[in-house]
Amino acid sequence: MLISIEGLKVSINHTPILHDVHLSLDKGEICGLLGPNGAGKSTTISAVLGLRAAEAGRIEMFDQQFPDAVSEIEVRQKTGVLPEQGGFYDWMDAIRYLAFFASLYGREIHRKEIQDRLQRVGLDPSNERPIHTFSRGMKQRLGLARALLANPKLVILDEPTNGLDPRGRRDIHDIFLGLAAEGVGILLCTHLLDDVERLCSRVGIIVDGRTVAEGPVDELLRNSGKTNRFRLRLTSPPSASQQSGMGLDASIISHDGEWWIVSIDPGASPDSVWRELFFRGWKITDIQQESGGIEDMYLSLTDRSPT
Amino acid sequence: MNRTVLLARKEAGELMLSLRGLTWLLAVAVALSVFGLLLVSNTELSLLDNAQVVYDMASIVTALGALLALVIGIDTVAGERERGSLVPLLLTPVSRDSILFGKLGGVAIAWIVIYALSLPYLWAVGSTGQNLIEGMVITAVLGSPVVLGFGFLGVALGCWHSSTRGALLTGLVALILSASPLLLGPSLRQSAVGRLFDALNPFSAAVNAYDAVMIDSQPYGLQNSHFLVAVIWLILTVWLARSGFRRVSRTGAAI
Amino acid sequence: MNLRALILATGLTFMASAVTAGPLAINLSASANNPVMPQMGDRLSYHTVIRNDGTGSIDGLIVWISLVEVDPGKEQPVDLEDWSAHKAVVARALAAGDKLETDWPIRLIQAGTYRVVISAATRSGTALATSPFADFTVRRKPVVESVRVLPVALGVPIMLLLALLGVWRKSYKSTI
Repeated sequence: MLISIEGLKVSINHTPILHDVHLSLDKGEICGLLGPNGAGKSTTISAVLGLRAAEAGRIEMFDQQFPDAVSEIEVRQKTGVLPEQGGFYDWMDAIRYLAFFASLYGREIHRKEIQDRLQRVGLDPSNERPIHTFSRGMKQRLGLARALLANPKLVILDEPTNGLDPRGRRDIHDIFLGLAAEGVGILLCTHLLDDVERLCSRVGIIVDGRTVAEGPVDELLRNSGKTNRFRLRLTSPPSASQQSGMGLDASIISHDGEWWIVSIDPGASPDSVWRELFFRGWKITDIQQESGGIEDMYLSLTDRSPT
Repeated sequence: MNRTVLLARKEAGELMLSLRGLTWLLAVAVALSVFGLLLVSNTELSLLDNAQVVYDMASIVTALGALLALVIGIDTVAGERERGSLVPLLLTPVSRDSILFGKLGGVAIAWIVIYALSLPYLWAVGSTGQNLIEGMVITAVLGSPVVLGFGFLGVALGCWHSSTRGALLTGLVALILSASPLLLGPSLRQSAVGRLFDALNPFSAAVNAYDAVMIDSQPYGLQNSHFLVAVIWLILTVWLARSGFRRVSRTGAAI
Repeated sequence: MNLRALILATGLTFMASAVTAGPLAINLSASANNPVMPQMGDRLSYHTVIRNDGTGSIDGLIVWISLVEVDPGKEQPVDLEDWSAHKAVVARALAAGDKLETDWPIRLIQAGTYRVVISAATRSGTALATSPFADFTVRRKPVVESVRVLPVALGVPIMLLLALLGVWRKSYKSTI
């Protein structure tokens, strides 16, 4: 396991923040860390990174007890981090900045490789502007390039798609998926459930300093009983043969005029269901999600009175 | 390259290659220029003994150096924390001591730059050369631990305070208190409390040594007691900076 | 004026004869190394011999230097703070026939005409013993030379301003 947390307890200025957090992440997995504001997500990440001391609980990093058996230095050598509020040395340009951080990671890096890395995250490698002239999205991409500098085995990202346009988000998603395919473990702290749905094979949900759900996404959805329900608008109703024996991870709930309510089983991909229906000749002109999926599960788990 | 050296070079670059750092250096140079022009334009002031003028300029250089070192020291922790660039640095596989000493090295480089900037001014006002070289030497030898001490105090304050503003306020009060011998008259410094303060105050140690070497032409060897006070101050502030930085990096106060 | 200054001299007043008051006799002589026409910043030195011409020992002897400015309209005593670090000498006792010698180094701080005198007093004595006067004139010298200060005072900030503009221009250019 890259990360294994059991019963984590952390206080800040004698105020308990985390009471009982558990989380795990293995190689090649992308784990989404979710929770309302103030739930303790950032504190959990701080404890994992050694920026906050744990009062109780066990943290293992790279299969070793942290910080007893594996030092903070060793962990940081193998971990890339993109914090939510990351700042930069605004007077430097991107190449100089990455070269500086590469040196801190003990890497002698050539200009060509830095340019390739900038290109990989969608930045212009010939840009010599100082960082203070960068847009928010550009800084986010630069931060990601910095996190990946040392070819880490574990990447921890806090709101990585902040400030990115939809195309930028999709590009970054592709990078994450590529890294996971190479065996890199990714811990993704985000509020964007779309990102979680697209990327994550595991999810951890923290509420009021406690883990309320943690594990593979499909398993959690199955256990929560939350199916995905969609409303489909059809130009003509499907024939009986089109309806029956669907053999899909889906079933028709009801219909009202041109609108048909379809339920998709937990863990099943809506995209694959739509493809199959189109193949069968369903004349679908509109698809709207009614409920269910990760969002439903998240909302039901985090439902609480405002304080 | 050694990571401490790398970090110190980065801090130096921030001083010499950024708008913010160059503005600070320009402010110091303007202050020295105003003082120098004051000396030239005022015929009454020209009655001052040449050694007195060099002494005054050396004292101003030390005071300005301490001020800028304090500001840089505070900025290198509290400022970086507010700008968000401290956390990525703490997340690198570099030991806390290496990061800290890199920052302290940055303060030292800043003082070297200020001292180098001040040499033309000292040369310009030390026209007869009387005790000029001695003045430059004693400013380097005794001014350095005093100025660096204020820089390291700035680092410590940046660690302990939650904001740059709070750290700056505390630091400025400490600096004004320490530099008060320049403002207090001789009679106030002769009281029991004044003498005790003079004996323990690093700034007093520096200016008293300047007085002894530049004006009274005393040898360097007689300044050991002043040098001891300055060195103790330096050691104390390094300890404060180190314990403050451990707090920042261990308790998540960097976030 | 120059002739007067020469005559008054600056260190060429050798007063060989001592002045006596009671048992103490003090003389004052200028050092042969004193500059002929001293200016601000120069150093002078005077030598004093204090003799006990009495028959008994003198206890608690204190001897000090005094300096006054004698320029017409500006007569005033001079604070020796910056002029000399050696302002007095003391002796617990001076036996009959013994003498005490000391030098009085002075750095010339301000232009003008001055008179130096050495005074002595004892614990039980009722009269002040003084040396003869020694007069000297200090020529004015501008301490701070504008030809050196102006280029530095203007040049260093200009240099830094140019560096600042260079950095600003580089970042401004890269935004357009």
